[in-house]
Amino acid sequence: MRSRVGRAVSLERLQADFAAALWDGDAASSLLPALDPGDVRSAHRLGLYRGNLHGAWNTALANAYPVVRALVGEGFFAALARAYGRAHPSASGDLNEFGMQFPAFVHAYARTQALPYLSDVAALEWRVHRAHYAADAPLLARERMAVISPHDLLVARFGLHPACTWLQSRYPIATIWRAHQSDADVALPLTLDRAECALVVRPQWRAEVVESSTAEIAALAQLRAGGAMDDAIGAAFDADAKFDFARTLVRWLDLSVLTEIR
Amino acid sequence: MFCKVSGEDSSNDVRRRREIAYITNMQNHRSKASQPLSGVGIGLRTPHYRELLARPRCIGSLEAHSENYFGDGGYDLHVLTRLRERYPISLHGVGLALGSAAGYSMEHLRRLAALVRRIEPALVSEHLCWGAVEGGHFNDLLPLPLTRAALTLMRARVMQMQDVLQRRVLIENISSYVRFAGDEYGESAFLNELAARTGCGILVDVNNLYVNQCNHGVDAAAQIEAIAPDHVGEIHLAGHLVTELAVIDHHGDRVSDTVWSLYELALRHFGAVPTLIEWDTDVPALDVLLGEARSARNRHDALACGASCVA
Repeated sequence: MRSRVGRAVSLERLQADFAAALWDGDAASSLLPALDPGDVRSAHRLGLYRGNLHGAWNTALANAYPVVRALVGEGFFAALARAYGRAHPSASGDLNEFGMQFPAFVHAYARTQALPYLSDVAALEWRVHRAHYAADAPLLARERMAVISPHDLLVARFGLHPACTWLQSRYPIATIWRAHQSDADVALPLTLDRAECALVVRPQWRAEVVESSTAEIAALAQLRAGGAMDDAIGAAFDADAKFDFARTLVRWLDLSVLTEIR
Repeated sequence: MFCKVSGEDSSNDVRRRREIAYITNMQNHRSKASQPLSGVGIGLRTPHYRELLARPRCIGSLEAHSENYFGDGGYDLHVLTRLRERYPISLHGVGLALGSAAGYSMEHLRRLAALVRRIEPALVSEHLCWGAVEGGHFNDLLPLPLTRAALTLMRARVMQMQDVLQRRVLIENISSYVRFAGDEYGESAFLNELAARTGCGILVDVNNLYVNQCNHGVDAAAQIEAIAPDHVGEIHLAGHLVTELAVIDHHGDRVSDTVWSLYELALRHFGAVPTLIEWDTDVPALDVLLGEARSARNRHDALACGASCVA
């Protein structure tokens, strides 16, 4: 019994030493005696695993944050990825989960302070990334909406697509995001001194960002909280007396924002 | 004192009987998937989604990296579900890190189980490796010391994996850049033991054996011949990268001539087991991958024909 525990501890110790050597290249001294003494290259070869680790961080973050990467450049992004990985090591065997704290990290990181919009762009990209993997949902049939009476529409409680999220920023984040897409329909904003609301949707299979408004977001927040359409319209008008409900409803159908009537 | 020992003996007998029943059950397990794996397959990679969806069936099977399909929904899972109607699918895990003494995630196993229920794959596989500690995950296939302690841990983890997934799994040999001074087994002997004790199968990566031959001087042919053929459920083939410091198993090139020769040896030793071409970095056009698969299938078919002609 004791020997079994002893061995288990030693395997755990060995892996902890291996881990220390990967986190920090100068911390390999505890591990080296456990490696094959016949191979003088072992210490150098540990660097290959360290390279894999940094590569995994960079690739996973580049996959989730392509716009941030384009904004800061590949070289700086790689340095940012390494600093982030050290501060927030991957907590999952699924690398698609790596990067959740990246927006907050970017916000606090000294070397990105000159780009105050960067953390909001990152926060938006994380929502897009998660939207890609969000659950599928049955879409609301347009025919159903065509025949619904005004009264039934107002009392109805709609489901929101699981991929649908939003973000309000002091910066034009939706425009920045859209300007970086391969099929960009907008140019990079000339002035960054403009607040924007961004809506994340997944109309087909591809997650997208569209510019939104405080009124639309107020309405969507009501719907997500389980409120009736009447509550949503009320919240939207509280935010903006010129809210155009008819146009917004069509847009929600176009963008697959609404799922079913509950 | 003596009573205790005899008590342990009888409980060990019970345990051993349970183990044998368990192993027999795992070995006899029939996959729920409608199509079993056979012939030669390729790894399913994002750049080929559209073409594979558009084309009629062009390859024996597809292998998906399990973790890429861990989402609740979305395009990747949609594509895999559609392709599953046309192809036998194997789910190849790269993130369970079975041999991690600390930091092992039951949650990861549960997510894999949910995917297995959804896809009902022909085959599920993972690696003989570790990858996580209490403080974090390395998202890499790190080498285990090949010791009795590691075997005890791997045995428990593989049995738990098979229990949770309710099916037999295959465990694959890995390539490595370092080895440990305290190794008590060769990798083949370790895998044979693991398979005998858990009922799991062995996934033989021929390229990894060759990479380890270059990196550590372990004779790849001898390793192939040391693996018990009865346990082998699949063969993996891939390209590697030769550098000054080490040979790197980067899955970014064609299968090398030496690895093809070792594959022929493996087929002679194991029989015509299902084979898969992996290509993960600088993923080429689908037709290049299919060409590699054809090279494998020619060897595969030659053996199958040879065997039946002899019979």
